[in-house]
Amino acid sequence: MGLLYGLIAVGLALIFGLMDVTNFAHGEFLMIAMYLSFFLFAFFAIDPLLSAPLVAAALFVFGAVIYLLLVRFAMRAKANAGMVQIFTTFGLAIVMRGLAQYFFTPDYRSIPQSWLGGKTISIAGIFLPEPQLVGALVSILAFVGLYFFIHRTDFGRAIEATREDPGAVALVGIDKNRVFAFGWGLGAALVGLAGAIMAVFFYIYPDVGASFALIAYVTVALGGFGSVFGAFAGGIIVGLVEAVTALVLPPSLKSVGIYAVYLLVVFIRPRGLFGSI
Amino acid sequence: MTALLETRGVWQRFGGLVANSDVSISVGRGEIVGLIGPNGAGKSTLFNLIAGVLPPTQGSIIFDGEDVTNLPAAARCQRGVGRTFQVVKSFETMTVIDNVIVGALVRNTVMREARRKAHEVLEFTGLAARADVLASDLVPAEKRRLEVARALATEPKLLLLDEVLTGLTPTEAQTGVALVRKVRDAGITVLMVEHVMEIVMPLVDRAIVLDLGKVLVEGKPADVVRDPKVIKAYLGDRHAVGA
Amino acid sequence: MDKDFAARRRRDLIIAAVLAAIAALTPLFVKDVVVQNIMILTLMYAGLSQSWNILSGYCGQISLGHALYFGLGAYTTELLFTKFGVLPWFGMLAGGAVSALIAMGLGYPFFRLRGHYFVIATIVIAEIGLLLFHNWEWAGAAMGITIPIRGDSWLKFQFLRTKLPYFYFALALCCLAWFVTWWLENSKWGFWWRAVKDNPEAAESLGVDVFNSKMGAAAVSAFLVAVGGSFYAQFVSYIDPESVMGFQFSLLMALPAVLGGIGTLWGPVLGAAILIPLTELTRFKFGGSGRGVDLIVYGTLIVLISLALPRGLLSLFSRPKKTGAAR
Repeated sequence: MGLLYGLIAVGLALIFGLMDVTNFAHGEFLMIAMYLSFFLFAFFAIDPLLSAPLVAAALFVFGAVIYLLLVRFAMRAKANAGMVQIFTTFGLAIVMRGLAQYFFTPDYRSIPQSWLGGKTISIAGIFLPEPQLVGALVSILAFVGLYFFIHRTDFGRAIEATREDPGAVALVGIDKNRVFAFGWGLGAALVGLAGAIMAVFFYIYPDVGASFALIAYVTVALGGFGSVFGAFAGGIIVGLVEAVTALVLPPSLKSVGIYAVYLLVVFIRPRGLFGSI
Repeated sequence: MTALLETRGVWQRFGGLVANSDVSISVGRGEIVGLIGPNGAGKSTLFNLIAGVLPPTQGSIIFDGEDVTNLPAAARCQRGVGRTFQVVKSFETMTVIDNVIVGALVRNTVMREARRKAHEVLEFTGLAARADVLASDLVPAEKRRLEVARALATEPKLLLLDEVLTGLTPTEAQTGVALVRKVRDAGITVLMVEHVMEIVMPLVDRAIVLDLGKVLVEGKPADVVRDPKVIKAYLGDRHAVGA
Repeated sequence: MDKDFAARRRRDLIIAAVLAAIAALTPLFVKDVVVQNIMILTLMYAGLSQSWNILSGYCGQISLGHALYFGLGAYTTELLFTKFGVLPWFGMLAGGAVSALIAMGLGYPFFRLRGHYFVIATIVIAEIGLLLFHNWEWAGAAMGITIPIRGDSWLKFQFLRTKLPYFYFALALCCLAWFVTWWLENSKWGFWWRAVKDNPEAAESLGVDVFNSKMGAAAVSAFLVAVGGSFYAQFVSYIDPESVMGFQFSLLMALPAVLGGIGTLWGPVLGAAILIPLTELTRFKFGGSGRGVDLIVYGTLIVLISLALPRGLLSLFSRPKKTGAAR
């Protein structure tokens, strides 16, 4: 589970690190991805595992479009820039939730049968649910892929450079907007991947994003805003903390542990564990 | 007469980097003292130590006969240290007059008096016509002046000016120089940090040159500019920058 | 210039008095219960948003966790009432005091945080509060507390046959929050807060006690919001964790101010006057829970306003004095 949190959070961290914008609609991106995965299954009987790349690709386009249509303008705001960004993405989140309620109804849905759903695997006597395991695997692969992408390809380096100094980058002829749009796309694609996998073992409903979004913010902050590696490590920590809390406290309190750890960490290190900025 | 400000053997280290080593300077009442030196000489660090942004690693700072080494900036302001910032830090969403009122509130608890004081200071600094303009709408030279006005409103005994004359056009700099003189004539001691010697030398009574975190030379401006050590430090600096 | 300023202050006060008087008279003409209900909620959110605005707008510490104080106000009042028979009037003050104290206690660690870290911390702490109340048996846990109905009484602040007393209380709350803002705006605190918001370092150099400024703003803000929470509990006469401490309250406190103009005297009132009726009407019109149209309208509005008018609707009315360079 922690690895999936990490995957959700990495997308958020990427966007944040790239341009100092917190996407408060991140949870809704996840929700859309889960619905997409659900409908692909319901109408075309494509298993979520197969449709995951499709969903990720769709989310990539979605994220880039959102950037070009909305966020680009929010970043230009002269007054209250921080507030404008927060509330633009917040408003977007509310609209998306509303649209989901309108078109998909507030009913809880789930994917009843899939290759992985409900199966468990036994490793050395410990039963592990398969979907989560695959999720963890995909997360690790995605993270490794991302790492290589950022550090080994020209475009990845362009992203890093833009993040460090947007002004200088413009001088070398890199189009800032293209890089940012790509960053948003990538961030959305990552959360799309996570959504597709989670669709297998989570109920899907319009508000589903909200519950994960807060955990994602905590994860990102825990790792230190903008640090992709930090977000991933943060995700693992969050997953562990959640598991430990579940042993000690009643299940309804399991998130308290995560939140408490977040508060503890930022009070001791106001910039998160791996924060560099 | 005792000095208004004294630093005694002040050290400041940032990790392994020594920004100030054993700096002892003093500023007498009613003086205009220039603190100059090449880039990276430790001027800004010393300035911030005096303003109370951070406490020195070692040494003490005496202001007006009181040891203020461990007092935070706000407390020093109450004791009579006013400052400006090298990179201007106006309250952008507030009007010019409101900016100055914030400063005036240190000595005036009644709003009406604080407001009157603020108007007085705007008059003094030549910003009166711009009182109701948002600080964000000022031109850079005016923002500099607003910084000075805000600090003056706290009725300081010592005014710390951090590169207020740098980056201004010659005419603007002239008005700035006139303002600094006016401030001194009002009985306020001035300590100003400047990078460019040409601007400050005619203005100051005494110059202190820092280099590599230490006091290099101290004395009358005319003597200081001719001092071979100073020339070397500045030229060396230029070469270093050019390289 | 001083005269201008004094005149502006007086004009604000007169406009407020006139508006309040008009509002006070509306129930004479508006008898429809649904509409009255909307008016009560509008006034309540105007007051709440005004209170939120003190900490987040003036002092610049964006809190998205004010639902905590709202809920604390509601719970303190009702727990005192149902368990100890303390009258809601006193419970209201107690709730305010508890909230203000907790806000200050939280301030110690919280105000060291900056930007996003602070915002997320406020969301998180409200969420923790919510979860704790969910699991607190003595306080009714997830079942909540039903306020025993004992008939109309000013003493118990409970009215069954008419909503008018609630209406007037909401109006009074809104006026109080507005007046407190008006009063503080031209005080040392008001100036300190705005200075802290714009540039804490510069504020410090001008003798501003940055930390205590934030503490003061948090305490006033939390107190007023908690009083609003107490009122709401009496008004709906049933509370559970979600219905008084849910995240939506944090949002509904922030949005009117953002919409109308954050950090301004009139922004929250204007924002609430537009936003709340609009939300309630779309909800009423498109009916039922969860067709989502209300959310769509609402979200679109927020996005559009944020993008088109970053200083809020109020900026349409004020003529900014942009004369450019003077010399």
